[in-house]
Amino acid sequence: MSTNAAPALPSTRDENWRYAPLRGIERLQWTPPDALTAEAIESARAVLGDLAPATGTRWTFIDGHFAAALSNGPAPQIGTRAGTGAGTDAAADASDSGADLAFARLNRRHAGAPVTLHIPADTTLDLEVACVALSVGHPAFVIEVGRGAKLQLVERHLGAANALSNLGLQLRLAPGARVEHSRLLQPAAGARHFETLQLRLDAGAELHLVQLTTGGAATRSTALVELAGADATLRWHAAMLGAGQQAHDAYVRVTHDAPGARTEQAYRGIAADRSRLAFNGHMRVTSRARGANSDQTLRSLLAGPAAEANARPQLEIDTDDVRASHGATVGKLDADMLFYLLSRGIAPDAAESLLKWAFVSDVLAKLPDAALRARFEAAIAPLLPGAEAARSLA
Amino acid sequence: MLEIKDLHASVGGRKVLDGINLSVPAGEVHAIMGPNGSGKSTLSYVLAGRPGYEVTGGSVQFRGVDLLALAPEERAQAGVFLGFQYPVEIPGVNNVYLLKAALNAARKHRGLPEVDAFEFLQLVRAKMKLMQMDEAFLSRGVNEGFSGGEKKRNEILQMLVLEPALALLDETDSGLDIDALKVVANGVNTLRAPDRSIVLVTHYQRLLDHIRPDRVHVLARGRILRSGGPELALELEARGYDWLLAEAAA
Ligand SMILES: Nc1ncnc2c1ncn2[C@@H]1O[C@H](COP(=O)(O)OP(=O)(O)O)[C@@H](O)[C@H]1O
Ligand SMILES: [Mg+2]
Repeated sequence: MSTNAAPALPSTRDENWRYAPLRGIERLQWTPPDALTAEAIESARAVLGDLAPATGTRWTFIDGHFAAALSNGPAPQIGTRAGTGAGTDAAADASDSGADLAFARLNRRHAGAPVTLHIPADTTLDLEVACVALSVGHPAFVIEVGRGAKLQLVERHLGAANALSNLGLQLRLAPGARVEHSRLLQPAAGARHFETLQLRLDAGAELHLVQLTTGGAATRSTALVELAGADATLRWHAAMLGAGQQAHDAYVRVTHDAPGARTEQAYRGIAADRSRLAFNGHMRVTSRARGANSDQTLRSLLAGPAAEANARPQLEIDTDDVRASHGATVGKLDADMLFYLLSRGIAPDAAESLLKWAFVSDVLAKLPDAALRARFEAAIAPLLPGAEAARSLA
Repeated sequence: MLEIKDLHASVGGRKVLDGINLSVPAGEVHAIMGPNGSGKSTLSYVLAGRPGYEVTGGSVQFRGVDLLALAPEERAQAGVFLGFQYPVEIPGVNNVYLLKAALNAARKHRGLPEVDAFEFLQLVRAKMKLMQMDEAFLSRGVNEGFSGGEKKRNEILQMLVLEPALALLDETDSGLDIDALKVVANGVNTLRAPDRSIVLVTHYQRLLDHIRPDRVHVLARGRILRSGGPELALELEARGYDWLLAEAAA
């Protein structure tokens, strides 16, 4: 691949990109600002609002640049990809059809050197990363969690109106590593967020990921997960709330490539107004993955007269020795439940909000602690008026 | 309290209520009995304002107000409570949250401030004790995984916390064993008061052994065929409904 040619962008004709909000991307300006200005730091401070007291390390990036003034704890290392062991780019690219890594290539072209983080064996790290998009950013991370190490990682993606961000994240879990990964994608009005997650789990590693997507104009999340070691366990809980004309799309491909690999995946999407949501949960089980287990429930709620919701389980299984279950439903708010709440004196908007809280609580309940849950809930509370007090109770 | 005049209603395009006349004065307990499919639940739903239950004629006054003109939540706030024949499970909506939200909605309607958190818990605990319910039910989803009997107790618990002016209890007794029936009946009896009315929809005389009604009505084919005192329930227990239907047809 020439380093000068702009990487080709995917189109909705590409497999796995059918519902992606790609309209107009060829006209977008992808070059990030070269450096951080004082104004940018002040703008980002305003976007972040009250910074809750950090219990661990907190890093803030603005359009991909590290902002020390808005960070706590040891500064990140800005490294090179070589020698991280997180899989070479060429190898990753070669194993893929191309389109799935298109945004990753775009990220590499513009991001410069990624943040590299190595968590030594048997240690624990509590890290919160805020990526603030003000104009254009390509935040890039390569994270290696050592043998038996524990990482609690909170990622927030937010920013200014009409901004553009394109995250590239590579995460590798060494044998026995354990990661609680909580992700909040909350672009501002009119903003777009693209991302490519490449995750690899070695033997006995465990990754619990909770992702909440809301706001902005459009998001596309591409996650390619390799369960490469025996008995690696993935729990993937994702919720999306679309309102207005937002479009949110996620493609999660999990490759079970070793004996006893396990995945539990739950998706809950609420499409209000004229929003469009899509979630494609692609489960691959190779012939090496004897005794693998994959369990998927994908549920969408249509809550607007012109809303669209699509949730698709996709199974590709090359072994007989596997347990796989999957279900996908699209529905509306249950009329019997609604009437029950009304009959108790609850106002209609509050009753609807309550049922929506209940719907996404399957996902939010998986966040590692109550304080984090409250912060994630605050991101969607404005969309669910009249039932604020029900938060965290659901 | 409740004045129903010549009430007609249809469900799913089918005429179910065919001219109901019923008057329930304040302070009284009335029982409505009748064969399956006679329209008892339909009447309850119409009074509670369930969508899909279309009133095609007649009127309902509740404390002098046109009940049918109110939205379902307004009826509840004004003091109408429906105990469902089949209470719905609402996973993810917390039972205690629902109780509190419902109570606060009614208080707001009366111009009262939100209930104090401590007082609320005291109140709920006392009522749960009366209903012999474990406090663990509070933190569960509404009716989620409750047995049939537990759901019915939960309905009565809600009623006791809300203290409605008019309680419509639709077959709250069906599916209860004899001990649970006593608990439920006891809960209902504590609510009897001069400024409150209770309408019990039931199939069985046995509930009326524990809650003595002032009046008993027989609803069949969408009409009240007969009204009487508590002795009418005993007569129905002994003779069934057929003789009444035959008389009505004659
Ligand atoms: N949603 C509905 N659609 C069509 N018919 C209905 C519906 N609900 C009730 N019915 C009919 O109305 C009649 C009365 O039902 P219901 O009020 O439930 O009787 P009861 O409670 O006395 O057993 C029955 O014939 C029943 O089949
Ligand atoms: Mg009935």
